Amino acid sequence: MGGIRAEGLTKVYRRGGVRAVDGIDLDVREGQIFAFLGENGSGKTTTVRMLTTLLRPTSGRAWVAGFDVVERPGDVRRAAGVALQEVGLDDLQTARELLELQARLFGLSRGEARRRAGELLAVVGLEADADRRLGTYSGGMRRRLDLAAALVHRPRVLFLDEPTTGLDPGSRESVWQYIRSINREEGVTVFLTTQYLEEADRLADEVAIIHRGRIVAQGSPEALKSSIGADVIAVELGEDPSAIALAVEALTPLTAAAEKRVADGHLYLYVREGARLVPRVVVELERVGVRPRAVTVARPTLDDVFLRITGHHLAVQPPSTAGDGAAGPRANLRAAKSPEREGDR
Amino acid sequence: MNTLRATWLLTIRALREIVRQPVNEVGNLVIPLFFFAVTVGAVGRVAERAFGVENFTGFQMPVAVLNAAASGTAGLAITQDVVSGYFEKLLLTPAPRFAVVFGRVTADSVKAAVLAALIAGIGLLVGTGFAAGPLGFLLLVGMAGAFGFVFSAFGVAFGLRTGSPQAAQLSFLLFFPLLFLSPAFAPKEVFAPWLSFAATINPVTYVLEGMRSLVLEGWDGGALLRAFGAIAGIGGFTLSLTAWALRSRG
Ligand SMILES: Nc1ncnc2c1ncn2[C@@H]1O[C@H](COP(=O)(O)OP(=O)(O)OP(=O)(O)O)[C@@H](O)[C@H]1O
Ligand SMILES: [Mg+2]
Repeated sequence: MGGIRAEGLTKVYRRGGVRAVDGIDLDVREGQIFAFLGENGSGKTTTVRMLTTLLRPTSGRAWVAGFDVVERPGDVRRAAGVALQEVGLDDLQTARELLELQARLFGLSRGEARRRAGELLAVVGLEADADRRLGTYSGGMRRRLDLAAALVHRPRVLFLDEPTTGLDPGSRESVWQYIRSINREEGVTVFLTTQYLEEADRLADEVAIIHRGRIVAQGSPEALKSSIGADVIAVELGEDPSAIALAVEALTPLTAAAEKRVADGHLYLYVREGARLVPRVVVELERVGVRPRAVTVARPTLDDVFLRITGHHLAVQPPSTAGDGAAGPRANLRAAKSPEREGDR
Repeated sequence: MNTLRATWLLTIRALREIVRQPVNEVGNLVIPLFFFAVTVGAVGRVAERAFGVENFTGFQMPVAVLNAAASGTAGLAITQDVVSGYFEKLLLTPAPRFAVVFGRVTADSVKAAVLAALIAGIGLLVGTGFAAGPLGFLLLVGMAGAFGFVFSAFGVAFGLRTGSPQAAQLSFLLFFPLLFLSPAFAPKEVFAPWLSFAATINPVTYVLEGMRSLVLEGWDGGALLRAFGAIAGIGGFTLSLTAWALRSRG
């Protein structure tokens, strides 16, 4: 009941005729943390806005907590908590006033609203600043308050559009912890969008990769990574196209069946038993006179999944937070790509 | 969610914000009073001889009241909420859109009534008198509130339609031609025929004359009826415009 479903959900913006979301099917089970991973302009926000009744789908249908988003918007709003990408606060109110008003608009009594606001202010660590006007809040404080505002009515489904974009690693970590705890303790279904591989990897039970308005891959992070069915050998070659061409040619006999991708000065080989192959890769390159700057082998990350499907890396990743780094440090070291030289876009 | 309750909650919020920007309200009080003072200062002494108005101070006071009542900022405030994203935060609650918009409009109406009471009170101090007595005073305040409500909805329609704070403020500029095409500074009887005609079809004329009747004459049922009729007419127009603008936002 507390899940999310969509069938052929589509949005074509009249202005510009952009097909922002193109026939998406979703089935997010109750109690899941679901991550919608995609780069700028891939259609994440548009999807969230349709699911939360702010935007009318061009076609297709969707249900949140069992309610049709077009036919039962009031019920959807009562069931859903939403923190949009752009934090929408009002500078003349204090944090406490804003939360209390939000709670009362969701039907809580004055006393309940006061209690709930106090509780949430403590949870997001804003008690000390609760009676200051929001005009004086920093970006991070605004984001935390926005998250609290999404929770005033104890929603069964929580939508978070890029909840950690622009936060420093410490704040990101605490938002993650908080999302996990409401998911575990209150069984809230979480639908979050992100551009960060690490976020999807560490937080989500299920990830869908959205690319140009379509879902191009979906599954648990583990399943997605093992779908590559191989290790990833990354050969760093720099920007010289002839070196890249030479390398591809030299390595073809060695890795005939393996998939290859070229992106931002690297040649990626998806191979079984990568570690055993590395010395031969080096020898072959030596033979044709190509000097790689580095050759590394790693288990696949979500970045590799993304790269294999879309032909390019996800743009800028944030500095890694401490921890087990499930997405692998490699994913974070690969900085921005420039679109002009993406392999097969 | 009960529409009335939501409108009430949002009215309180809007009033809180109005109180938190006191400079704006000082302006909304002082500017009408300033025009009131200079008009009376310039024309007051010749008014009786020129066009037979004995109590020109009392004749002018309702102009200041109307002026203040038209200073609603709901349209501007709503466009600012749209820009800040707070408007959507409100739309994500079960509160009806109607309440989100009319909370602001109702706050403008309350503000108009308060400003009217202050201006009429100051008027009493400077000798306007009040022919209809305390009940009439309350009715004048109520009329100002009602006019504030319907005129505020006009700015809201502009704001919602264009999404631009500047356009929302245009509604206030439109108030001035309407005021000048009414018998604001002299009775209709001395107007040139074209202006007299314009004043006759201008609803603001009847609102003004209704208010004036309370100050200068006492209880004139016909004038009051016409005033409320005019306010209802303006409301019919501006509220339909607002409803249309709300719907066209989808
Ligand atoms: N109001 C709009 N009118 C017209 N086109 C729009 C509108 N909003 C978004 N688009 C277009 O739709 C596409 C998807 O945009 P959307 O905001 O859903 O992407 P996103 O995945 O949320 O991106 P980001 O990571 O930058 O937030 C983009 O091409 C965008 O230009
Ligand atoms: Mg977005």
